[in-house]
Amino acid sequence: MTIFSEPKGKQNLLSRIGVSATVASLIVFVFLPSFFLISFTFTRWPEVYNEVFANPLIGDTNWIEIQKYLGLSLRLAIFAVAIDLIFGIPLAYILARKKFWGKGFLEDLITFTLVIPTSGFGFATLIAWTTISGIGALFGRGIVETNYLIPGFNVPVIMLLVHIALTFPYIVKTLKAKLEDMSTLFEQASGTLGASPLTTFRKILFPLTIPAIFSGAVMAFARSLGETGATLVVQSVFTTAPIAVISWVSQFKFGPAAFLGSLLIIVASAIILPVEFILQKRGVSTFSFFSALNIEKRLLKVEDFASRKLSRLRDAIIILFIVIVVVVPIFVVLNSVALSWSSDPNTGKVTESVVYQLFGPSNYFSALLDATLVSFSSAGIATYIAACIAIPTVFLIERYRFGRFLRALLRIPLIVPTSALGLSILLLWGPGGLRLADPGIWLIILTHIVFSVPVVVEPMLATFEGSDIPLYEEASRTLGANPYNTVESVALPLSALRIDLPDCNLICSPYDFQKGDH
Amino acid sequence: MPEVELKNVVKTFDKGRITAVDHIDLHVRDREYLTLLGPSGCGKTTTLRMIAGLELPDEGEISIGDKLVSNLPPEYRDIGYVFQEYALFPHMDVWNNVTYGPRVKGWQEEKSDRIGREMLEMVRLFERADAFPSELSGGMRQRVALARALSSGAKLLLLDEPLGALDAKIRTDLRYEIRRLVKDLRLTAIHVTHDQAEAMAISDRIAVMRKGKILQVGTPQELYLTPQHIFVANFVGESNFLEGYVVDRAESKLTVELRGGISVMSLNKDHKKGEKVVVAIRPEVLSIHKGKKSGVNSIFGSIEAFRFEGNNVRYEIRLQNEDLLVVVRPALMGEWMDVREKVTVAFPVEKSFVFSYPERGLRTELALE
Repeated sequence: MTIFSEPKGKQNLLSRIGVSATVASLIVFVFLPSFFLISFTFTRWPEVYNEVFANPLIGDTNWIEIQKYLGLSLRLAIFAVAIDLIFGIPLAYILARKKFWGKGFLEDLITFTLVIPTSGFGFATLIAWTTISGIGALFGRGIVETNYLIPGFNVPVIMLLVHIALTFPYIVKTLKAKLEDMSTLFEQASGTLGASPLTTFRKILFPLTIPAIFSGAVMAFARSLGETGATLVVQSVFTTAPIAVISWVSQFKFGPAAFLGSLLIIVASAIILPVEFILQKRGVSTFSFFSALNIEKRLLKVEDFASRKLSRLRDAIIILFIVIVVVVPIFVVLNSVALSWSSDPNTGKVTESVVYQLFGPSNYFSALLDATLVSFSSAGIATYIAACIAIPTVFLIERYRFGRFLRALLRIPLIVPTSALGLSILLLWGPGGLRLADPGIWLIILTHIVFSVPVVVEPMLATFEGSDIPLYEEASRTLGANPYNTVESVALPLSALRIDLPDCNLICSPYDFQKGDH
Repeated sequence: MPEVELKNVVKTFDKGRITAVDHIDLHVRDREYLTLLGPSGCGKTTTLRMIAGLELPDEGEISIGDKLVSNLPPEYRDIGYVFQEYALFPHMDVWNNVTYGPRVKGWQEEKSDRIGREMLEMVRLFERADAFPSELSGGMRQRVALARALSSGAKLLLLDEPLGALDAKIRTDLRYEIRRLVKDLRLTAIHVTHDQAEAMAISDRIAVMRKGKILQVGTPQELYLTPQHIFVANFVGESNFLEGYVVDRAESKLTVELRGGISVMSLNKDHKKGEKVVVAIRPEVLSIHKGKKSGVNSIFGSIEAFRFEGNNVRYEIRLQNEDLLVVVRPALMGEWMDVREKVTVAFPVEKSFVFSYPERGLRTELALE
């Protein structure tokens, strides 16, 4: 609220133009696509209704299926996030607070699933667990069948594994960043008052980091709900909501696709936004929950024992978790590439080797190269445009009263499942809508911009709020710099430091809808 | 009951490159109020944190009472610790902060409540029990932190610059309050500060630290009246230092010749004839007279600067040998003298100290960092 509050004269005009341009680009590139699917469903309601609820041939079969797909997606997302939390929270704590050999490598491993294309990772998990070329080689058969379900919850095991691997980094990253920003003073104070590390975690760290844990969980939940690339690879007989959206689109059944996409957006918003709003506003104070249950004392003893005796076990379990969800698939896929590099390991045929397939008559290499170039150039362009919109947006949020509202709105693109978003973009800008772009690279770029903007804005805001940037800005003003110079030379360089690797990866990673387009 | 004993304790940081605490021995008596005093970076906070278990020593032993605690985590040491930054849990109100210790130790609810109430009444904040830390002033927060540290029933209270973040007036009030509480509750307290006035005012004994070592341990009077180390003479109170050589030593007296052939006498403390020494004289023991007067330890000079400090006036006097002496006199005693006035300053033989000239030079030895 400090330096842009009362711009004068020429600056006033400039600032008005800047603000309007930023708001306009936010509306066109971010908000419109996020909400268009819902309005599309409403404006074409009779058509959608006929397709979904009263099809002359199949009646309400589509509606029944939609419920089934949505149910699976929700169960999968809830399950994945629950497991992410169980393993992700201690992992984040260890990474933020302990020093040990190989920590950097562990952090890279965790980021890894955010960097690699998801469909590739899905394939790696699939062969690692379900085929004889993976871990199955040790036992003579695949460990997990693709149609294995977790009893009682009907969640496919292999799909769950993939979703956990792709979502747990969000919780680890956010919580770790929050813990690193937090001084260890409270933990020390708690220790001197007689609390074991686990009690300290439950009573002090957990309540203080709840907003971070929750925002990590929100990202993980949204990511799981919208995950398409890897899920398609491991889907077997199961269909999640995003996959259904894509298959309907590919059959030109836009009615049920739009309806299911809208439902995904509404369900995600309805679950995530209210809880987040409450948590952000009030925080969580001490819980009397356990003492009300009269188990507080027993809990204290267990925590004391576990803190003293079981920390090794905790570390071992967490390492095992990472090995299962990340290391094994990557290792197996690299291993199979190495084994089949020059000839097929089973048949010995050269024509089935990796080298032959890539550079032989079928020349998959050039196709691969083309696809990679398209991915990278679209991600690059999308990131650039997103940053151009995001940077002024950060300043709007920080300086203007409507900033808070803008910030809340920016949570929505983050939780809109990517396949629903893709469909929305297709219907808005594509041949069936405004006809501004054909399916292809431009639509991909437009899709990526939508969720890249909030992804760049949030960490920059976090830096702003957790830092002394306002102080440095004041110093800069007292030294004679005008507001624009100050932003350019002080605020921007300091906050831009935070647009770090994982976020850019997120921008590059989901090529989900690209698959659905073709 | 809780005596604290440190034996040959060493702590290094940055893979041994920085020695924070260098082979120190310290004995803190039961129910004693001991202050670790020293400039910043002298290792006093590290020493306190090792006693608390917040840092573990590289070498040496630490015991509390008859228990060896060197490698024990803080939660098993039965201590109360007050942080300079208060460290009140921001998500808990005053009541929950103060009863945190009893609750995590699994005490009966009635006992926790009773102790919480007693402690809050003791620091006169019971009526603010529902307030959150962010709603309290700095002084109140530190009183809550004190109540919290005391409520876990610890008999050893460790205070890390507890008054460092407070305003001057509140500092002085609170320091007496802390001492009163410690004495009323019959606790042992170890208090870390860099403020010598604070240390003098509250301590039974003071351990003066510098560069990871303890230079002298003694009562405030001992440190002030008989400093054993030239650094202590300067850091506890204030001193003028005059360089010279021992020219004569009688049974109880020593004659030192300063620059320019000025002779002064001091009490003999085993210095050899011909040895290079430093004579330390506190500004407040120097008397000042107009004009030239002769006598033992009378030196002629002229006033170069005069400052009014409220309760005192301070003169800087250029001696005839170009050395500079600071003289502090009570403002309301005697008449004030003007700059450029020719004066004679004098001090009693028994009120000066003689130290061997430091090997590394006087400035280095007196340096704070």
